[in-house]
Amino acid sequence: MTAAGPAAVAALQQALAAENSAVYGYGVAGAHLTGARRAAAVRNWVGHQNARDTLTAMLAARGAQPVAAAAVYQLPFGVHNAGAAVALVTLLEDRLGAAYLGLVGLGDPALRAFGARAVRAAALHAATWRRSTLAFPGLDVPAPRAPEPASQGTGSPAPSGQAHGNPTPSHPG
Amino acid sequence: MARDATRRRVLTAAAAVLPLVAAGCKGIAALGTPPKAAPDVTVATDAVAVETQLIARYQAVLAANPTLAPALRPLLGQHHEHLTRLHARLIVPAGGQPLPTPRATAHRTAQVPGTPAAALGYLRDAEDAASGALLAHLATAPPSLAQLLASISASEATHALILGTAARHS
Repeated sequence: MTAAGPAAVAALQQALAAENSAVYGYGVAGAHLTGARRAAAVRNWVGHQNARDTLTAMLAARGAQPVAAAAVYQLPFGVHNAGAAVALVTLLEDRLGAAYLGLVGLGDPALRAFGARAVRAAALHAATWRRSTLAFPGLDVPAPRAPEPASQGTGSPAPSGQAHGNPTPSHPG
Repeated sequence: MARDATRRRVLTAAAAVLPLVAAGCKGIAALGTPPKAAPDVTVATDAVAVETQLIARYQAVLAANPTLAPALRPLLGQHHEHLTRLHARLIVPAGGQPLPTPRATAHRTAQVPGTPAAALGYLRDAEDAASGALLAHLATAPPSLAQLLASISASEATHALILGTAARHS
């Protein structure tokens, strides 16, 4: 299978890049969550670290150099409260589903099954955060959307740039 | 061959191209042999059957428990979306064997539980089973169909999650 190798490596790198983003994003989001939601974020953060390590090992086993995580990621909108934190991790899970669906498009049955399990896991996480479901997780990924101002928590001043529908990058560090 | 006649009625676009390619090599005589249904036709048809049965179960539960409509309508709507996209994978010639419809299979649906909590649990179990059934042909499906099946299977896993939560709170 001459073409299967590069395609598998490319799809695994995509999934790894998505996991790297998720590890970073859950770290940002967790700081704005409390109680059960913070516990869930920490649980998922650890889960994504484990998935990252799994993908890194799968790439190494194929003789590929795993894509490195960035020190800082530009977020699709400002994350300064719990509502935005939940929107961010929901988006990250949606994008993980899309990345893992790339593995399902490969010819290798083992990678297909692995990808399908991961699409399912990401969809379950996203549905838990979103409290609703999508018809085609991974295939039809909703656009990034900051939460409505009305749903923001109290005592957390929104920066001027956080108009909904007009995502802004967060301030690194 | 008469027994092949039913299999000829449902063809994918991919399968329909094959006899043309064959005809190019062997002349018009090659068109005399009907093409066998491609594997993805079987896979898509099975998936349509899974979705159709789920929709029938939702309809039966809604008929017995109208108060569940606000909770179930969004999920049922997504099953109709699944069915539409699966149907788009199949080309059914006029006069051919119709694909199963929810109405046609409704009478085969078992008696649904009467209490809301039990009905929600019944649908949760059906969603779980459907989610697993859709992955049965994952290894043999063409890549884009495999991705569609994995996506729908994941959607149904999330339906089961939401239904399970609703059942606990009802």
